[in-house]
Amino acid sequence: MTWLEDAAARARVLEAQPQAALVSAELPLRANLSVLENIAIVPQFRLNLSYDQAADAAWALLARLGLTDCAFKRDPSLDCVERFGAKLLRAVIGRPPIILIDRPALLLPDIHYPPHLESVLQRLADLIEQCRILDYVWNAPLYAPR
Amino acid sequence: MQALIQFLTRVGEAALGWLAAWGRILTFGAHALIEAATPSAYNSAMRSVVMKQIYFTAWQILPGFLVFAALLSYVIIQIVVATARDFGLSEFALEMSIRVLVLELLPLLTALFVALRSGAAINTEVALMHINNELAALQASGVDPMRFEFTPRVIGGAVSVYSLTLLSCVLASVLAYVAVYGLQPWALGEFRHVIAKIFTPVALIALTLKSLAFGLAVTVIPMRAGLEAPRMLFFAPIAVLRGMVRLFFVLMLIEVASLSLVYL
Repeated sequence: MTWLEDAAARARVLEAQPQAALVSAELPLRANLSVLENIAIVPQFRLNLSYDQAADAAWALLARLGLTDCAFKRDPSLDCVERFGAKLLRAVIGRPPIILIDRPALLLPDIHYPPHLESVLQRLADLIEQCRILDYVWNAPLYAPR
Repeated sequence: MQALIQFLTRVGEAALGWLAAWGRILTFGAHALIEAATPSAYNSAMRSVVMKQIYFTAWQILPGFLVFAALLSYVIIQIVVATARDFGLSEFALEMSIRVLVLELLPLLTALFVALRSGAAINTEVALMHINNELAALQASGVDPMRFEFTPRVIGGAVSVYSLTLLSCVLASVLAYVAVYGLQPWALGEFRHVIAKIFTPVALIALTLKSLAFGLAVTVIPMRAGLEAPRMLFFAPIAVLRGMVRLFFVLMLIEVASLSLVYL
């Protein structure tokens, strides 16, 4: 966890982590691609995988999070959990050294998000090298004490 | 004096802004062409966007476009044939019809057709992608928007305009033959002679270059206009409007330049 005092602190953290993959409300999914395509496009483009290979990898990740039902939906049809899952998997499939989940309250406004984050990250634990959650200090009481 | 200085300053700023905008369009087009000429850029993701673009720009509209081209060509051929007959110039009717339609009118109408249908859609889509920060999101995921979003549209647009032009020109040539000689095979030799006279190597190169220039214009200008939209949703229609007006002028400019080069 990285607790932020204000927006300036957030900007400093992001600036200090240029190599991190950001999961943020400010980085939306491509609206005219399905969830599966949004995730698959990363290995398809970066590793020059065929669409079938990339889609298989993306499907396997969606299955881990139990989100295969939304694989063929596009962004406007997604609820916040599905949209967050798609954004997180888009980051995970690129195998970055660090993933930053930026202000989860913005990404998951309709649920009690700390337990959801914990559950999702546990299911992807073997695929994530390092993950940091950036949240404001005033949201700290929402998280369970460790 | 002060008023004059202010006026000249405003005019100068506007002229510089105008030049800078065209400079950005040319730079963007050159960048896309360099990407298109780079073999390593053709990964499976890019190829699939190229195919989608050709499908939406050319294949999907093919039946309607061919009907439109056939009707227009037939009407113009009939007008040319009737007028030539009235003036006792029937022997030139076929050549005149093909020259007017195939070399000048159909390439321009094809470009306008694609510009209205796909150019406007591309302009809107790019403007919305830019405003919604989707391009930055792609970049952040390691997917280069120039390679994944823009270059495939340029290639797809150019291939589509060129293919549609070619098909409509073949169709118009066949219709011209039918209008002049009827459904008879006996005049094929004469027809071949006229075709050979019109389609000299220079004319073919000029037609190809013009179609490709049209194809580039109908994709590059709308995309660049979309990218210039300020990041506020209500600017999207303005970006589309600007892009389409610029596109119209460029298409006309290409046509006038080609006419000047060939006939002056």
